[in-house]
Amino acid sequence: MKYALFLGCKIPSALPAYEASSRAVLAHFGVTLVDLEFNCCGYPARNFNRYAFAAAAARNLALAERAGLDILTPCMCCFGTLRHAIRFLGEDAELRSRVSEALAAEGYAWSGKTEVEHLLTVLARKIGVDSLAAAVRSPRTGLRVAAQYGCHALRPGNVTRFDNPMAPTMFETLIRAAGATPVDWPRRLDCCGDPLHQANTPLSGRMTRAKIADALESGAEVICTACPHCHLRFDAVQAGSSDASIRTLLYTQLLGLAMGLPADFLGL
Amino acid sequence: MSPALFQTALYASLALCSLGLVWRVSAWFRVRIGPDARTVALSQRVAALLRGGALALFSRRVFQLAGAVFLDLLLQRRLFANEKLRWLGHLLILTGFTLLLLMHALAAIVTAKLFQGYQPTLDPYLFLRNLSGAMVITGVGLLLFGRWRRQTGLPQARRPMDMAFVALLGFVLVSGFLLEAHKIASPRAFYRMSDQFIGSTDAGRLTPLRAVWASEFGVAFDDLKLPIDPRLLEQGRELHRSACASCHTKPVSAFVSYPMARVLAPVTDLLDTGRADAWLLYLHVFACFLGLAVLPFTLMFHLVAVPISLLVNAAAPNRDFSLAGRASRRALALDACVRCGICDLHCSVAPLARYLGNLGLLPAHKLQATAALAGGRLLGCEDVALRAADGAFLCTDCGRCTAHCPVGLDLEDLWEAGRGDLAAAGLPSPAQWVQAHPALAWAESLERGPAEHVDSGPDDLLAPLSADRRSFSRCVQCQTCTNVCPVVAHSMDSNHGIDLTPQKVMNLLRLGLRDLTLGSRMVWDCATCYQCQENCPAGVRVADIMCELRALGVRRLGAVRSLRESS
Ligand code: SF4
Ligand code: SF4
Ligand code: SF4
Ligand code: SF4
Repeated sequence: MKYALFLGCKIPSALPAYEASSRAVLAHFGVTLVDLEFNCCGYPARNFNRYAFAAAAARNLALAERAGLDILTPCMCCFGTLRHAIRFLGEDAELRSRVSEALAAEGYAWSGKTEVEHLLTVLARKIGVDSLAAAVRSPRTGLRVAAQYGCHALRPGNVTRFDNPMAPTMFETLIRAAGATPVDWPRRLDCCGDPLHQANTPLSGRMTRAKIADALESGAEVICTACPHCHLRFDAVQAGSSDASIRTLLYTQLLGLAMGLPADFLGL
Repeated sequence: MSPALFQTALYASLALCSLGLVWRVSAWFRVRIGPDARTVALSQRVAALLRGGALALFSRRVFQLAGAVFLDLLLQRRLFANEKLRWLGHLLILTGFTLLLLMHALAAIVTAKLFQGYQPTLDPYLFLRNLSGAMVITGVGLLLFGRWRRQTGLPQARRPMDMAFVALLGFVLVSGFLLEAHKIASPRAFYRMSDQFIGSTDAGRLTPLRAVWASEFGVAFDDLKLPIDPRLLEQGRELHRSACASCHTKPVSAFVSYPMARVLAPVTDLLDTGRADAWLLYLHVFACFLGLAVLPFTLMFHLVAVPISLLVNAAAPNRDFSLAGRASRRALALDACVRCGICDLHCSVAPLARYLGNLGLLPAHKLQATAALAGGRLLGCEDVALRAADGAFLCTDCGRCTAHCPVGLDLEDLWEAGRGDLAAAGLPSPAQWVQAHPALAWAESLERGPAEHVDSGPDDLLAPLSADRRSFSRCVQCQTCTNVCPVVAHSMDSNHGIDLTPQKVMNLLRLGLRDLTLGSRMVWDCATCYQCQENCPAGVRVADIMCELRALGVRRLGAVRSLRESS
């Protein structure tokens, strides 16, 4: 298995542990990751200019296509954004022709071949939960884990095709594969608040804290994430507060620990 | 050139250079970037420097500093990692320039003191001078070629003085080579020397010596017939050995100016009559003095700023600096940037700069805008300022610019500070400036605004869903979207109430009142969680429409924004 690794903007600068742990885990399952110099996925431009957003996303797709690779991203926002762009370009011929023009000016083209996968979809569907479970050496038995789904990967389901958007199970299955126990928490599908952090900090903070409180009330010891934005938002809100706090763990760290990978390989 | 004139000019340009340096260096303590920097006094910043410097010098950091001087400064490790070609060019210029400065410009106080019997017309000095000059010219060529080859279709950041200084540097080198070439070929120079050292300018008496200098030293006598008699040469060599050889080696080693002298030979007479030696010397020397005098205000100031910036980097990472220290580092960064444009090449949002037609997104340009804002020059031009703000708030803080900057500047710290300054100057992010006024006020401005402001292009590409009735006419106003919206839920129990609900936004669209939604809190506080869209029983793409309304708001409200601010 070979993918172009799309780290996005957040992971290299703010959460290098996610890159390290993703590489460590994926290498174990024989996934080859190719580094291309991608640009911003396009997300920041969505609120600014639809054409620029679609063109920026398409440029990434074109880069991967030229390398003959599909994209694997550990970021849920990048994942959702790229999937959205594919949809917009598919349904809007005028947009598509303008974007193609912009790409052609740089010598790029996108014919629609590139597939976009999230780290979790690759682990769950391409590698398979059984293979994951088979690689587990020290299962995290008894660890109660709250799965943070992440809006941009989950919804709208017809665009992202991540899991059943109303009642997803993929993340819990993956947690079980690591030997841990997923907890059921009412707010598991809620927004973490990160997209609002710049625009409305107090509102964003209320959303994040509501989720943390809910996870604690539901008996979770850890919130497990698979997106740098959710992960860093939980950490940032907890860092500045005296309320009861909960540990955050990236899924690749949870699985890596269960597989017996050394902690420093996982950025821990 | 009279020594008095030379000295006056030298001291005048040295004085100007020193004053300029003092002024420019003082900016590192004066210039305030970032709202937090405005809370520190100048004295605190100077104190932070002294404290930090002393701490670094008297700790084990000193070895790190030495390493940085060697690897980052002399070997330019960071540039090497980025672009080998430009690294080579830079190294050639640095070496050539240093050699010329010490060996040629400061010959009297450096070379002559170190090497007995130094004469500029003897090898190896003659050869080395040509080599150094050629190194600088090649280096400049490589840098320009590197810039040209990396052209991405987006203009590179530069200041007017940058290119002027490169031109001046080129002029100094070319005039120097021309002067040397002319002096090699000039019979006039020959007679001046023969008068001084042989005591004769008689062409007939000097014929044997002239024969030697014509055939072996490239002097362009127009009255000597070729081929020259070998016996005459033998005679001339005798005289040459006794009178000239101690100061002159054959100029073939001057591999640039000697061929130039041969090319100039046919016009040497003319140049001699026009006293080219004198005015070429004036041009060469005064161009050097001019360069020296304006140096602090040109790209060459990086010779001062970059080493200091690299040393400061080696002393401690930016996050370990006090606020006073960071404030000074930001000001220093403005001067240490060499406008190489390498950050632009790797910037995550560079493609957006192209698609939006806004250079304000590119880091090297953004750095200049930051400097302009701090210097009070940005706000004068509204259009430029607005674009700079658009650019600054689209940065994703990915850190790639910082990772690639060959000077090692902490650019993310600068960007954050710059955004703070923009916001303080009335140019905050779109979410902020839109929400500074209620939706109704915006709708009124749109109504009042001149039509051409409001309809600045077709909407369907920017906002096809909200422009097409079919995408929201299905809405049955069931309120499902409102009920699942976390923003609605989390706004209810506070004073930060929202003005509309998602369902009401859809209703306004159905009523054809789209302008009323563009400035709405609900629209701008939407978290794009897609709960509404996923749950809508009628399949309305509520969240996609919210995104569109924001993009449309940025453009349409942006067009009447200045009208509002001024009214
Ligand atoms: S931090 Fe901002 S300016 Fe720097 S490379 Fe990333 S997007 Fe560009
Ligand atoms: S910030 Fe650094 S990389 Fe960018 S132009 Fe300046 S010196 Fe070059
Ligand atoms: S859920 Fe759909 S149909 Fe119901 S009010 Fe919202 S947009 Fe209209
Ligand atoms: S996408 Fe926006 S409007 Fe829709 S439910 Fe989420 S926050 Fe509310």
